[in-house]
Amino acid sequence: MITYLLRRLGAGVLLLAVVTLVTFMIFYVVPRMAGQTTEQLATMYVGKAPTEEAIQAAIARYNLDEPVVVQFWEFVKAIFVGADYTFGNQVTQCSAPCFGYSFQTYQEVFPEIIRRLPVTLSLALGAGVVWLVGGVGIGIISAIKKGSIFDRVAMGLALAGVSLPVFFTGLLALAFVVHAWGILPTPEYTPITENPFAWLVGMILPWLTLAFLQGAQYARQTRAGMLETMGEDYIRTARAKGLSERRVIFKHGLRPTLTPIVTIFGLDIGLVLGGAVLTESVYSLQGIGRYAVQAIVTSDLPVILGVTLFSAFFIVLCNLIVDLLYVWVDPRVRVSG
Amino acid sequence: MSTPGAGKAPAAATDAVVRVRDLTITFPTMDGEVRAVDGISFDVAPGGALGIVGESGSGKSATSLALMGLHRGTRAQITGEIAVVDTDINAASDAQVRALRGNDIAMVFQDPMSALHPQYTIGNQIVEAYRSHHPEASKADARKRAVDALDRVGIPEPARRFNSYPHEFSGGMRQRVLIAMGLVCEPRVLLADEPTTALDVTVQAQILDLLDDLRRDLGMSLILVSHDLAVVAGSVDEVLVMQKGKVVERGDVSDVLARPEHPYTQALLAAVPRVEVSRAQRRAQVRAERVHAPDSAAEDARIAASDAPAAEAGESLSVMESGAEIEAGEPLLKVENVRMRFKVRGGMLAQGQDFYAVDDVSFELRQGETLGIVGESGSGKSTLSRMVMRLLQPTEGRVTFEGRDITRMADRQLRPLRRDVQMIFQNPYSSLNPRITIGDSIGTALRVQGERNRQTIKNAVRDLLDRVGLEPEHYNRFPHAFSGGQRQRIAIARALILRPKLIICDEPVSALDVSTQDQVLRLLAELQDDFDLTLIFVAHDLAVVRQVSDRVLVMRKGKVVEEGEGDSVYENPQHEYTKQLLTAAPVLDPAEARSLRAERARARGTEESAAAS
Repeated sequence: MITYLLRRLGAGVLLLAVVTLVTFMIFYVVPRMAGQTTEQLATMYVGKAPTEEAIQAAIARYNLDEPVVVQFWEFVKAIFVGADYTFGNQVTQCSAPCFGYSFQTYQEVFPEIIRRLPVTLSLALGAGVVWLVGGVGIGIISAIKKGSIFDRVAMGLALAGVSLPVFFTGLLALAFVVHAWGILPTPEYTPITENPFAWLVGMILPWLTLAFLQGAQYARQTRAGMLETMGEDYIRTARAKGLSERRVIFKHGLRPTLTPIVTIFGLDIGLVLGGAVLTESVYSLQGIGRYAVQAIVTSDLPVILGVTLFSAFFIVLCNLIVDLLYVWVDPRVRVSG
Repeated sequence: MSTPGAGKAPAAATDAVVRVRDLTITFPTMDGEVRAVDGISFDVAPGGALGIVGESGSGKSATSLALMGLHRGTRAQITGEIAVVDTDINAASDAQVRALRGNDIAMVFQDPMSALHPQYTIGNQIVEAYRSHHPEASKADARKRAVDALDRVGIPEPARRFNSYPHEFSGGMRQRVLIAMGLVCEPRVLLADEPTTALDVTVQAQILDLLDDLRRDLGMSLILVSHDLAVVAGSVDEVLVMQKGKVVERGDVSDVLARPEHPYTQALLAAVPRVEVSRAQRRAQVRAERVHAPDSAAEDARIAASDAPAAEAGESLSVMESGAEIEAGEPLLKVENVRMRFKVRGGMLAQGQDFYAVDDVSFELRQGETLGIVGESGSGKSTLSRMVMRLLQPTEGRVTFEGRDITRMADRQLRPLRRDVQMIFQNPYSSLNPRITIGDSIGTALRVQGERNRQTIKNAVRDLLDRVGLEPEHYNRFPHAFSGGQRQRIAIARALILRPKLIICDEPVSALDVSTQDQVLRLLAELQDDFDLTLIFVAHDLAVVRQVSDRVLVMRKGKVVEEGEGDSVYENPQHEYTKQLLTAAPVLDPAEARSLRAERARARGTEESAAAS
């Protein structure tokens, strides 16, 4: 049991290390292999009017002339203990976890990510609850009333949900719900600590939009899983014991159905926590996803790298939580681990 | 759905606990209505035991589900009258039927591996059964009853095992748990639908003994449903033989078994493999029947040819050149001291443990012989046969085929071996690729071994289909169009197409009904005569093994505990385990079944007193 947890934890840490290495290689080593010189690399750090001096300063600041191994070491070291950067005669301390500075704004990457985290967190967790409850709920009803009008409509909608991209459904929702009918104000983020009601109202549309996309998949999966489970021998055993149909469905049928759902939910929520790029863009929410998009547009390497690692961290974290949940959900894991 | 009987008055109170009159169950399908059960009637007296026997498709399972009202909510149409403990199942409300299920009539299912919920402890599942009928009961009381029930069915340390999950139990133990679940509300009737089909012989005997004990001690009625007459023989008073939804014979179990009247019952009885029939008797019988079969002119010719098997083998399928003749006296296959080790993974720091699935096994097999390997699940018999095939490489020891050491041979060099040694697997439903026509399935092996001419392959396959008793015209059909027995014939044809020298049959008939089993065994016997085959026959069924084997190897926990000529092993078993297996084998004579049961009880008694002292 403890061994299982330790092994999972070890695997998670290892995975993060590998992701760090691979992302570092992509951003720092691959360009060199493609023929970029140290100077050209450094130029990107300097801004719009690169002077020879500034380039040399950047090379020194980011150890660009050192061997790749040393650069990677410095990069990792900065994440754990922070680093000092020299700008002219000024020394700035970038405290741990330090992912470096943005090329564009000269702001530290990590605090910028943290500043945007509440937006993404609100969006991801809120939408997660909506799509999990909605998707699973609809899936169960569809499975029980298989072939009914409800089932057909729900599965049709689910198909639409899976197929339609967020920028389409999002713009449609904006056009009708906000502009044409005026049911909701234009979505914007208000911190929950400031005004919970405004936070809720502002997030409803983004939640629904994101949940429509994700929840559709959950509804289909739950329906299929439930139909399969209800055909199992142990369901017949449960009925033969004289249990009520409600108990048969919710105690005996639901749990095995939820087992794989827990897995994909962990993955999906981890993914969305790394930035729901499209949803944030459609509703102009200043979250991590939008930060990444801006960074990509301006080739802001440290920001891209930082967001990538941050997202990877969330995915690994969520998977770890799923693994822990599995111990509770599926007793068979306990011995086989 | 199940309303046609609703208009009738509630079943009259009779002394029978289960009363079925003119029961008909119809399932609407795409091809029209299928009448699964067609007007059957029976009664079960309090404390009485009824056996329902029939092959798959006879309607016996549809009947047992109807007794529990488990067809509700499906499209099955039920007419007639079913009264269980004076409740009319067809007319009762859902709530009334639920109150009945588990409380007055409990059911034990075929496959204990899948009948328990894998995510709840067994205690939880038994307590749930109790509390759904006794909502006023306290948790502690329910728990106590559950522990008592577990104790009653012979689960050791029931209080501790209460919190175990199903996967922590063996198949036999799980079946006990299911029986405990059925017992916890002290029902008047226990309905067991093929309760032992998925279990080993000794476990089967234990479960049947347990059901018999419970019935006598608790005064329950028992309905035992099975495809195997030998299973019900020792456990019921009255037996009902079903065929295609109808009752063809009904009566006292000893009468029916001793003097079956209906031809179907007679056929079923004849098909049951009998452990007391020797190999020679069986062979003589099969050969005699073959000669006298009305449409066997061609067969006769083959039998004549079988005196010169090598010659006959050469012509009937001249696709492959005949392999090098081996020296007389040299065994075809020689297995010396083989062991197969598997590592059992330990914890992160703990050392992995070694586990020997096969431990120091040796035997020799001569051309034309049949070696039977008997053992229960986990005895290593399948691992052993896979090593002979070189699907697994033995950890230690040596396997010699036709004088060549194949133990460590590279895959490329094994090619000729793949042609000479073929395998027939247990489950004909999963061993055939559902997306490939049977003709291709059988012919592929020829193509793999280098035959390019499509017409040659096709002709060879058609000949062989004919030979194993299928229509050559079915060449282009897919496996789903065939029954289990037919599929096993296809698997046999596939094994035969390369004219192998050795065929390993791994439980080839254990997934089949008795009568189908009999047909497949006959076919194998004929083919062995005609093609001069050498067979390794792996099975857990002692009677089946006896009928086909010249020599028998009894395995337990990876080791051979007894080896010898078939008849001597069966008539004069030396090892304790072999004796135990033999007393566990189901027999057709009810009186003998009872005496074997008593013998088993005595053996258990001495074991227990030995353990206690």
